[in-house]
Amino acid sequence: MAEEMASGRRRPTRWLDLRGRHEGAWAYALNRLTGIGLVAYLYVHLGVLSLLAHGPSTWNSFLATSKAPFFTALDALVLLGVLFHSLNGIRLGLTGVGAAVRWHQLLLRSLMALAVVLFLVAGLLWSIRG
Amino acid sequence: MTEEAASIDLEVLRYRPGEQARLENFSVVVAAGAKVLDALDTIWATQDHSLMFRRACHHSSCGACAMRINGRERLACITAMADAAQEHHPIRVEPLHNLPVVGDLVVDVAGFFARMTASDLVITRTAEPELPVSVDRLPPPLRLRQVVVAEDLGRFTRFESCIECGICVSVCPSMAADDGFLGPAALAGIHRTREATRDPMESAHLLALADGDGGVWRCHSSFECTASCPQAVDPAGRIMSLRGQIVSRRWGRLWRR
Amino acid sequence: MSAPHVVVIGAGSTGSATAHDLALRGLRVTVVERGEVASGTSGRNHCLLHSGGRYCVTDQESARECIAEARILDRIMPDILERNGGLFVALNEPDLAFKDRFMEGCEVCGIPAREIPIQTALKMEPFLNPAALAAVEVPDGVFEPFHFCLAFLATAKANGAVVRTYTEVMELVTEGRTVTGVRVRDYRSGVSATIGADIVVNAAGPWAGKIAAMAALAVPVTPTPGVMVTMDCRLNNMVLNRLNRPSDGDIIVPQRATSIIGTTSWVVEDPDRIPIPPQHVAQMLASGQELVPAVGQVRVRATVAVARPLVTKAKADSRDVSRTFECFDHSADGLEGLVTISGGKTTSSRAMAQRAADVVCSKLAVPAPCTTQATPLVSYRSFYR
Repeated sequence: MAEEMASGRRRPTRWLDLRGRHEGAWAYALNRLTGIGLVAYLYVHLGVLSLLAHGPSTWNSFLATSKAPFFTALDALVLLGVLFHSLNGIRLGLTGVGAAVRWHQLLLRSLMALAVVLFLVAGLLWSIRG
Repeated sequence: MTEEAASIDLEVLRYRPGEQARLENFSVVVAAGAKVLDALDTIWATQDHSLMFRRACHHSSCGACAMRINGRERLACITAMADAAQEHHPIRVEPLHNLPVVGDLVVDVAGFFARMTASDLVITRTAEPELPVSVDRLPPPLRLRQVVVAEDLGRFTRFESCIECGICVSVCPSMAADDGFLGPAALAGIHRTREATRDPMESAHLLALADGDGGVWRCHSSFECTASCPQAVDPAGRIMSLRGQIVSRRWGRLWRR
Repeated sequence: MSAPHVVVIGAGSTGSATAHDLALRGLRVTVVERGEVASGTSGRNHCLLHSGGRYCVTDQESARECIAEARILDRIMPDILERNGGLFVALNEPDLAFKDRFMEGCEVCGIPAREIPIQTALKMEPFLNPAALAAVEVPDGVFEPFHFCLAFLATAKANGAVVRTYTEVMELVTEGRTVTGVRVRDYRSGVSATIGADIVVNAAGPWAGKIAAMAALAVPVTPTPGVMVTMDCRLNNMVLNRLNRPSDGDIIVPQRATSIIGTTSWVVEDPDRIPIPPQHVAQMLASGQELVPAVGQVRVRATVAVARPLVTKAKADSRDVSRTFECFDHSADGLEGLVTISGGKTTSSRAMAQRAADVVCSKLAVPAPCTTQATPLVSYRSFYR
């Protein structure tokens, strides 16, 4: 800590410390975390798909395990991440070229509300299909 | 001191280069309505002349006393001791982030001012044709009134809103990671200079600087600068506005090909 | 043979301007300041670049000095001034009766004063008391004292001066009856050291007495604070003054996005301990509301008090003490190598510095004349290079 103070060396992980920070910084942190999470998920997903190359029995046994509640919970998490990241991404795409900057908080709140609605709809659809 | 004087505790970061940083406890008796800067002045005068902190105007005009109080970047001269103590007691006082610490609460602002110099920001600007001017919302029932000056006199002038305090730089996650970033204050300065200048070459040069390596594209939209600015400069809005100007210029060029 | 070395104690407006003047004359200068630049009196001043109108009846020496210096500052630091002029406003019959004396005083002191129709004044200043009876326009201006000092020091540094902040003078070093330097504690490193000097300039403002006492000398400097109240909104564009003899709370100085009401005057023992009397704050708000009724609707941003370094003559009311400055060459007290420059106001810093530098150069037999009247200052930002 002493070294860092003298040199003013940057702390690239400081965005994780959200004490005293406002909405925009929370959205920033969540965008990064979901982004990292989704990239990680992409690799997992490709890894899973590669099971297809190992024949129908491997694939079918995987499908069986994927119905477990643990997996469903993970899927729900992925969905939340996708919803947040994509909808916030719209907000960032707009504000990032100077559009609607004054309303970035309103945008954030309404898009998050939309995310919640879509998540609930997804949950409903899932529970109907069983 | 008034009868309402109270004893309040502060934990102040003490540090010299090469030494271990530590939090030192101080108790001060301050009058009702005292600000955190008043407490630091009292500690300095009555307890410890070695306490280093920047200060000058004591009324939010010079930008010198920016620091972190209870973890939030603020101007110490207008942060009430009572409010700070209510948030957290003892009140924690630490220097700004993202600038090298010279000692205790003093940060090295050379790099900051070099960036401001690059923005060409002149601190006097044409005043709005209305009064009052305020960084906060106007208190009711006060409303804007037109200012009428004789035509040959032009408009009045006033100092720019930006007091170059460095708070926006301290809260910026890009400044935390990136030595090359011009930063919110300088980019907001570029935006202001382009609004005010009549020199097309300066305007173009500054837009190129904003579009360049350390410019607007290193901002990743945390908007924390705008949320923390004590002077309502809105650096985030200005950065995004510069981006809009850059994008529409490029778009226009694309179409003209 | 290298140029003589001068140590200037204090980086307020006096010390900063003095360092600049001496550096321009080719001397080596080291400024030592126990806090940040302008962290003493200068930082907390009323920010008023006096046209001199305020003193044109009661203190014409001050008034003449103000208008001359305001014009010079306008030339050498135009980019860091708000130059909107000021109004002297009559709110009642006694004020109105003062107008003729005021106009005559301005004429005598060379201050361009112009009465403007009250309706015009009310259009220019929509928050001015609508019951105002008359308004006279003068060339008042506004500065920001931190930038003011930084600009002088930045220019001094560009000319070779060294500025050491967070460095406190603990002793004056003497050899016999000559001051040969200062012993300082540098709080950055915790190290104490002696800085040798051919001349030490005591520009410590209200602490000048404390410095002089280190050599068992007394200087007639009386710490005389005044309270200023800064409002949350800028309610006026021009400086608003009450058209009458100087009194408490008769000026509202606009600055950036605030209006600063001031000021009062009382004497303290210790310039480091100035409790703010709440009745002074109430008085400022009351007199502020007379000039600008909307003051009553705006929140107070900050209240500030800091000691003016008034050079005392034997007078009872501190407001009557002359605000011109004095330069004390302590060889008159039997001590060589020490000069104290005190009193004055920020508007006259450059003139104070000229006097101090003239005395220093005369003592050192350096024939360089003052060139600060015509030398533009560099950007305050370059101080922190």
